[in-house]
Amino acid sequence: MLSNLVVTKQKVVLIIDELNRERIAPKFIGSLLHEQGQGADTIKALPTGVSLKHVGTFEALIDKYANNNTGSTTDPNFTGFNVILPTLADLLCYQTPAFIFGFLNRLRRSENVRRVFLWASPQHLQDPHADYILAGCEYLAELVLRLESDKLLSLISRKPGGGVTNRRYSCEVSKTQFKVTPLDGGLPAGASPKQPSPEAEQIPEPASSTFKIELDEDEVLARNALTLPYERTSEPPEGNIIYTPDADDDFDEEDPDEDLCI
Amino acid sequence: MATSVLLACGLNEQKLPGFIHISEESNVDGSFLISCVLGQRLRISNAGTLLVCLQHHYQHYFNAGMRLGYNTNIFQGKTLGVIDVLSDMAGEGLASKWLTNTEGQTLTEQLVEDIRAQVESNYANRNSYTVLIDNLSILFNLGASKLQVQQFCQDLAALAKERENLTVITKLSNSDIYQLTDNNVAKLGQVRIQVLRLKSGVFREVDGKLLIERVLDEGNYACEETRKEVLYKVNDRNVKVFAPGEIGVKV
Repeated sequence: MLSNLVVTKQKVVLIIDELNRERIAPKFIGSLLHEQGQGADTIKALPTGVSLKHVGTFEALIDKYANNNTGSTTDPNFTGFNVILPTLADLLCYQTPAFIFGFLNRLRRSENVRRVFLWASPQHLQDPHADYILAGCEYLAELVLRLESDKLLSLISRKPGGGVTNRRYSCEVSKTQFKVTPLDGGLPAGASPKQPSPEAEQIPEPASSTFKIELDEDEVLARNALTLPYERTSEPPEGNIIYTPDADDDFDEEDPDEDLCI
Repeated sequence: MATSVLLACGLNEQKLPGFIHISEESNVDGSFLISCVLGQRLRISNAGTLLVCLQHHYQHYFNAGMRLGYNTNIFQGKTLGVIDVLSDMAGEGLASKWLTNTEGQTLTEQLVEDIRAQVESNYANRNSYTVLIDNLSILFNLGASKLQVQQFCQDLAALAKERENLTVITKLSNSDIYQLTDNNVAKLGQVRIQVLRLKSGVFREVDGKLLIERVLDEGNYACEETRKEVLYKVNDRNVKVFAPGEIGVKV
């Protein structure tokens, strides 16, 4: 399920929607959180619409949840709030990009905020510098989910250690479910891995690295079948130069450099 | 006269969805939809209507109504309220409140205030109330920015949510030029009607195409939507609607 990939330790999650699903953005994110067992009391949404005109709306959210004036820290099970922001198009309708970035940053730095979700649909961004603003949001985000089409999505994840993964998935979407399958033949998200076979156990565990060192079976066959240019494919015959002098040639058998002391 | 086009668009019901947006492509005229909806709402008993005239003045809607078989003058002041921005500007010139920043308010803020005032005074007495805005793109010509127009529509959508049986119908012409604004306004509503020109050229028997998109149900991850396409022809006294393929070249 998509929620296994999106509701992770990454704090700032940006969802870039190329499919014009902006009207259901809050419901979409809320469903992902509910699927992962996040309680309704930890899910907080900034009110949408005309209230975004007032800076007080944003300050109230920061004061109540980012500074945790609800007293939730006394609960030993409290891990932080999941904040769902209005869509970027709605935010840009009422506030400047600088304010939005500052607000996002304040939420990101708050220890009481577990995750922040921001939805951006490029075909709704009214600002003349929409591309830069979206790039700025991607910079701030630790996980970027791009819904490319009805069947494809990509996920860029930045880990605290600096590692970045970029994976693409195929997806099956219904009104109540969002199933994903990795495009590189891996297991679907949420599926438990099977017991490894003896042949698979002989393959060493790959080191956690962004480089793909090991080869698949197809890649090994392809490498063996490749013929490099200028590569010898057989033993060359011994070189013999057979010279038949003409009648007019003054062919001298002696070596002309015999007297040189080199 | 206009029943078929309203039936095709799903706008013939007594209770309409809260927010409906009409996107009109360049080089095509969708004004007939506003006149058709206006006639239908006026015919419903005790249904209030507020017409915000930005593209044409009130007299135009009266003339169009007479061709379609209804007289707006009978209803004006009773179930029909009119905010005639164009006539105000023509009458008062540069002193018109729509062209000056009275009390530091922008044009769109003043318009929202006037609409709210009309709704406040008339809504309580009516079974249903419809606000018709014709045409949002004129606001750009009057100096409003794209963000102001978007905020204006957000205010209208909030007004529709506050009150049951209140419907806001907006129209935006040249939607292909103002595509971002069009997308942002369309997402506020459940029904979007796109008035499109024929891609293959001009045809004597068909003026254009209507693409009606309706959100039936918002799921968690996807919406259940219906899409319907019809062709239309605006005649002198009626509007005809055809299914694609119904009209052919007669040899």
